[in-house]
Amino acid sequence: MTISSKLMLIVLLTIFEISLTLWSVFEISNGAKFHQLNLFHLKYATEFSNKVFSLEKDSTIDVVELEKLILDIRQQPIDCLESVNFLNEFIMKQIGTHGAIGICVKDIEDGNRVLLKMSEYNDKKISKEAFISELKNAAYAFNENSSLFEKPVTETVLFVMKTMVPLVVGISLFNILFISFMSNTISSSIKSAVDLLKSKNSKESLAEDISKNVSGELKVLLEVAQKRIRNEVFVTEINQQLEKLVEQRTESLTRANTELSQFAYRTSHDLKAPLTASKLLTNFIIEDIEAGDIDNAIQDINRIHDQMVKLEDLVMSILSLTEVDSIEVNHSLVNVDNILDDIQQRLFGLVNESEYVVDREIEPDIQFFSCPIRITQILENLISNSLKYRDEKKSELAFIKVSLLGVADTYQLTVEDNGIGIPEDRHKEVFQMFKRFHPQLSFGSGLGLAIVKKHIDYLDGTIQMQTSPGGTKFIITIPKIGEI
Amino acid sequence: MQKISIMIIDDDSTDRYLLKRIIKKSNFSCETFEAENGQEALDFLTNYEQNKLKYESDFPPILIFLDINMHIMGGFEFLENFSSLREGTEKYQTSVFTMLTSSERKDDIDRAHSYDFVKGYITKSGFTLDKFNEIVQTHCAKYI
Repeated sequence: MTISSKLMLIVLLTIFEISLTLWSVFEISNGAKFHQLNLFHLKYATEFSNKVFSLEKDSTIDVVELEKLILDIRQQPIDCLESVNFLNEFIMKQIGTHGAIGICVKDIEDGNRVLLKMSEYNDKKISKEAFISELKNAAYAFNENSSLFEKPVTETVLFVMKTMVPLVVGISLFNILFISFMSNTISSSIKSAVDLLKSKNSKESLAEDISKNVSGELKVLLEVAQKRIRNEVFVTEINQQLEKLVEQRTESLTRANTELSQFAYRTSHDLKAPLTASKLLTNFIIEDIEAGDIDNAIQDINRIHDQMVKLEDLVMSILSLTEVDSIEVNHSLVNVDNILDDIQQRLFGLVNESEYVVDREIEPDIQFFSCPIRITQILENLISNSLKYRDEKKSELAFIKVSLLGVADTYQLTVEDNGIGIPEDRHKEVFQMFKRFHPQLSFGSGLGLAIVKKHIDYLDGTIQMQTSPGGTKFIITIPKIGEI
Repeated sequence: MQKISIMIIDDDSTDRYLLKRIIKKSNFSCETFEAENGQEALDFLTNYEQNKLKYESDFPPILIFLDINMHIMGGFEFLENFSSLREGTEKYQTSVFTMLTSSERKDDIDRAHSYDFVKGYITKSGFTLDKFNEIVQTHCAKYI
C-alpha cells in the first residue's frame, strides 16, 4: 500500500468518525426538540382544557380564541413531523417507538376534527351543547396525546445515546490505533530508506538495494533524488575539472610568458654585447696600428674573434632552441651509434683526440623508437658540455661514456663524464636558460641544458643529474612507444 | 696628475679591457680593481680592514662600474647586498656607482636609480671618455 493511499484511508476514517459523532449529537438534540414541542403542546392543551371546562357556566363561546389555541396545539405535531427524517423513522420502526409518529398524526386529525366542528357550529349546523361536548372530547384527546408522546421520544433518545456513544468511542479508538499503525509503517519505511542511504554501499549496489527494499512513492523519491544528485555531482565534477584546466593553462601561459620575456631580454643583451665590444675593439686596432703597436692590435683582433665565436655560439643555440618547438613528431628507429659517430666528427675536431676517451655501451639489438633529431640534439649538447668542461687537472684521461639500455617500459640513455662538475648550490638552475656555471672556462650561451630539457619534455621523458667535482652523469628516461 | 681609484665589476673580460683602455686616455691616473661578478666584488668590499691596510687611500674605490647581467651574482643582487653593507657605516660613503650595462630596459634604469649611491647609468655602446670625465667631475671630484 502506498503512503498516499494510507494517508487517504486515515482521512476517510476520520471523516466517517466526525460525521457519526455529529449525527449522534444532532439526533440527541432532535430528541430534546421533540420534548420541547411536547411541552408547548401540553401547555396549549391545558389552556384549551381550562377554557373548555369553564364554558358550561358561561353563555358565550369565544370561538376566535379557541380556534387560535387549537391551531397552536396542532402546530406542534406538524413541526414534529417536519423534523422527522427517513432515518429517524427507520430507527423508530426498529426499536418499536414508531407509535410517536402515529400520535402526532392522530393529534393533527383531532385538531382538524374540532376545527371542522367549530365551523359547523359557526354555521349553526350543530348545537352549542354538542359543540362543547366535541371541545371537551378534543381537550381529553390532546392531553392524552401529550402524555402518550413522551415515552417513545424518551426511548428513542435513550436508544440513540446508548448505541451511538459506544459506537463513536469504539470507532475513535479504532481510528487512533489504525492511524498509529499507519504512521508507524510510514515512518519505518522512511527510516529503512534513510538507513539504506547512510550505509556505505557502492553506487551500483545502492541502486539495487533501493529497488529491492523500498517501494511506492519513497522508491520514486529516492530514484529521482539519486538521479538528480548524480547529475549535480557530475556537473560539479566537470566544473572542477574545467577550473583545474583553466588554472593549469593560466599557469603554463604565465610561465611561458615569463620565459619568453626573460628569453627576449637575455638574447637582446647577449647578442648586442659582442657586437658593441667588437665595434670598440676595431677602433682600438686602428689606433694601435697607427701607433705601430702591432702586438696589441693582434691581441684585440683575437678578442674580436672570441666575441664572434661567442656570438655564433649564441645564435646557433637560439636557433636550435626555437627549433625544439618546431620539430615535427617523427618517430623512427634511432641508431645511437650512427648519431655518436656524426657528433664525434663535428665536435671532436675542436679537441685533440689524444685528450679524451669515448666509451659506448649500447644494448645489443635494442629497438630504440624515438625522434632521431631530438635524440641527436640531446646527445650533442651533453657531449659538447662534457668536452667543454673536462677537468685537465685530473690525472686520468677525460672520458665520456654514453649508454643506452631498455629498462622495463622505458629507454634509459646516460651520458657520463669525469669533468669538473657543477657547483652544488646551483643544481636547481641547471636546466634554466642563460645559466652558466663556469664562465671563466668557456663562453657558452647558457642554453645547452635548457635545450636538452625541452627536447626531453617533448619526448615525455625525464632527466636526472648526478654531479660532483669527480664528474657529472645525466640519466635520461624516455617511455617506450609502440612501433609506428 | 690626479689619482682616482676605480672598480670594474663585469664578468666579461673583453668589456673590462675596453673600459680600462678608454679611461687610460683620461687625465687621471687610475688605480683599477676588477671583479668578475657581484659576489667577488662584495667579498672584496666587505673585507674592509685588510684591504684598507693593503691599498691605503685607494680603498674603497671611489668610482665603481657595475654590470647588471652577470653569473653567480648579478648587478641588482649585488646592489641589494651592498646597500645593507653600507647602511649604518661611514666606510663606503665615498664610493659612487655607475651602471655600465648592455640593458636599455626602463625597468633596469629605474631600479638602478632607486639606490641613492648609484649616480649614473651608461649603456656599454654609449660609453665614451667624455662620459667618464663628466661622471668624475660631477660626482667624484669631492672625494679625490
